[in-house]
Amino acid sequence: MQKLLNSILRNRTLLLFILLFGLSLRFIAKNHDYQRSSFTAFNNAVTSPFFKARHNIISFLKHQKNNEQLVAENQFLLSQLITKNNKKFLLDSVPFNVIPAQVIHNSIQLKHNRLTLNKGGKNGVKKEMGVITATGVVGVVNNINTQTSGVISLLNKSLRVNAKLKKSNHFGSLYWDGKAPNTMVLSDVPLEAKVTIGDTVVTGGMSAIFPAEIPLGVISATEVPVNDNYYDLRVSLFQDMTNLSQVYLVHFPSADLIKEMINDDE
Amino acid sequence: MNNLPKLILWFLILLFVQAFIFDPILLGTTYAPFVYVLLLVFLPNNWPSWLVLLGGFFIGFCIDFIFFSGGIHTAACTLIAFSRPLLIRAVFSETMAPENLKVEQESFINLLRYVILVIVVHHFVVFVFVVGNTDRIRWFLNAWLINSLLTISAVALILLLTRNSKR
Repeated sequence: MQKLLNSILRNRTLLLFILLFGLSLRFIAKNHDYQRSSFTAFNNAVTSPFFKARHNIISFLKHQKNNEQLVAENQFLLSQLITKNNKKFLLDSVPFNVIPAQVIHNSIQLKHNRLTLNKGGKNGVKKEMGVITATGVVGVVNNINTQTSGVISLLNKSLRVNAKLKKSNHFGSLYWDGKAPNTMVLSDVPLEAKVTIGDTVVTGGMSAIFPAEIPLGVISATEVPVNDNYYDLRVSLFQDMTNLSQVYLVHFPSADLIKEMINDDE
Repeated sequence: MNNLPKLILWFLILLFVQAFIFDPILLGTTYAPFVYVLLLVFLPNNWPSWLVLLGGFFIGFCIDFIFFSGGIHTAACTLIAFSRPLLIRAVFSETMAPENLKVEQESFINLLRYVILVIVVHHFVVFVFVVGNTDRIRWFLNAWLINSLLTISAVALILLLTRNSKR
């Protein structure tokens, strides 16, 4: 017993190191799990005032440029909205609710990236709202507080977006493989689809998060896994995820209704 | 760096600079120097080793909190704090006791060599955890090299400026 105590005392630095290092490895493992995002939610609540202050300073400096972008994107969204209302996509006549927001924090280096937006519950942001720009999808809101909201980036290995080929309407699932921040993978497209490099990929609309026909990117490479009936397509994104600034939160008008229906089916 | 108020001041300044200036998204670049690594150099050498370890852990934790990077910087900082006696001996002399190193009294060149070693090791650990697998080796080497160079130049500049103002 005495010997054991002595050896513990002698090696206390090593033991403390192992303890602390193990703790940090646990943080890393925990951070890479979408389900356990309580830490990030707390984190978001504590640090977002700082990022918000920082953002105010910067947006003051880049005011002019942001405004131009705002006008252009608003215009795009309005036209989108009109075309969408003309199609019979919606369950009722309520138009899409669009909330403009600014990105105040963004990561691209990790495998499970996140963003923070400057709009929160006070502005009508809800969980599981889709985040889009004029040229693509950005992510899905996963935690909110009154002033800001946390978003799972498209560059997050746990996010899958329903997408389709614009010309043939074949559906697939778009996800990030954790490599370059400008290319994604579109899987589950059947071999019957005639795919050529350069085809446009748009959102499929088969979810209660993103509306249909938002442009995502073009196909840059095609690949058929051995013994498989589905393509693995590489998609290079229109949206540059590394310099996001102005984004829009979309609320699917019948989201609750659709979710209810899905739940009933199950 | 023997008095605590000065250390705390450095801590606040470097954390502020890291969060509000050297952020990749803010600068619009892929990489930004991690100037906070200088704090690991400034942790007093006459502290007992367990305190240095806790200090490193705390610094890393604060950075992880700011950057949403969950544990990556904590792991790297803890490792640096633990291997500090080794790093000091590698740069200065085999026989030197780590507690005899006075950061303020060392020559600039010697101090820079020490800082470069700390930065290179620290960034290695950080990017190993960022990459996490073997199929992004080129990206890893690229990030490690460029980010280390950025940090080294930024830290060298900070050291140069603060040392001159002291004399």
